[in-house]
Amino acid sequence: MPEDEKRESLLKRFGKSSKELLYGMAGHDMTRFALKTRGSMEHLFILITMGDLLGIPILPPYYSLRLLPYVVPQISTWKRRMLRERDLTDALA
Amino acid sequence: MSTTLCGTSSLAETFRAHPNRRYIEFGGKGGLGKTTFSAATAYWLAQQGQKVLVFSVDPQASLSDIFERDIFGKGPVEITHNLFAQEIDADRHIKDYQEEIRKKILDMYGLEKVPDEIEDYIQAAAAEPAMEESAIFDAVVDIVVGRDYDYYIYDLVPLGHALYYLSMASIYDEWIEKITKLREEMQEYSQVAAIMERKKESEEDQILAELQDIRQRINVSSGILTDREKTAFFFVVTPEEMIILDTQKAAGLFAKYQVPICGYIVNRVVPPQLAQQNIPEYLRNRIAMQERYLKKIDETFGAGVLARVPEFERDITGMEMIAKVADSLFGGGA
Repeated sequence: MPEDEKRESLLKRFGKSSKELLYGMAGHDMTRFALKTRGSMEHLFILITMGDLLGIPILPPYYSLRLLPYVVPQISTWKRRMLRERDLTDALA
Repeated sequence: MSTTLCGTSSLAETFRAHPNRRYIEFGGKGGLGKTTFSAATAYWLAQQGQKVLVFSVDPQASLSDIFERDIFGKGPVEITHNLFAQEIDADRHIKDYQEEIRKKILDMYGLEKVPDEIEDYIQAAAAEPAMEESAIFDAVVDIVVGRDYDYYIYDLVPLGHALYYLSMASIYDEWIEKITKLREEMQEYSQVAAIMERKKESEEDQILAELQDIRQRINVSSGILTDREKTAFFFVVTPEEMIILDTQKAAGLFAKYQVPICGYIVNRVVPPQLAQQNIPEYLRNRIAMQERYLKKIDETFGAGVLARVPEFERDITGMEMIAKVADSLFGGGA
């Protein structure tokens, strides 16, 4: 019995590793792309709703305030990204 | 100007013929008597056994003056049986709202104090010129979705503001629609990432939920203002040339925003019987001029003119005078 169990767990591990390998080869880049796009959109979204934080006047501030609590953690990275200087290496990232 | 009239010949008849029109609005230039008519209509409806709320969206509201009671920022105050009045205190509404946002931030992230940068933004946003109007708009949504009363009477701000108020609803709606779309697209990307990483569910987007809630509130409020089945809008005019011209212009604009214009009420009519008495030349001339403009009003607005209310011997404050105006508005075929 222990022999079987050992074989099974070996198989499982092999299965798991190959799954991860496949994900690494094919899926990971896509996931990264999806997340990166989402991140960019998140920043665009904050720009549209909270642009006033950078001095860009944005329409109805009343309802922007209602969204503010949800974007508090992203505000500082967003500001850094928006106000950062760009150069050629940005294209490679 | 027969665009959207209600097809009745007196104000009382209009109310009886359309019992589903529960949102009543009076509009017109400043100082013509919108507040007076709002109060008088509320008084009349309350006398008919209806539970009525008359409320003002004007930052310089005068319901307190006409009812001779300080009701500013006190919520709905019962004036007489079935008659409630409310003046919205926009400043306090904004302060409460800011506090609510701060508290939410502290609760969500377990913070002791709102970060400086965020606090600055909250304060700066409250100083925006559009903030007060937006706050009032939002407070009105709370009032009209409450369904606590049979009738809601809007004592609207002067024309320019009223148009701004109406257009704001459509601007908000468009703005929210755009950012909701963006948010939904973002949600799709999250879902793709979640599927690729074989996570069960991507977390629910709370911002999207907020946006949908905001949108729903705006739609309810602007929907009521432009709903022919539920709403009646009355213009207040006086027999003066400029007022007639401005009202014509405004009626055109209001029609563009789908406001269901129900009729016109002429205020400040100097009793023509006076002409038979021994009166000074000055007053005689005023009455002759008025006659000319009353004719013009009838030509311009035709069957839309639902009542003529005289210039009273004293200004309209207190229940006794309000009752007199109500009598003249609704009683005995004016």
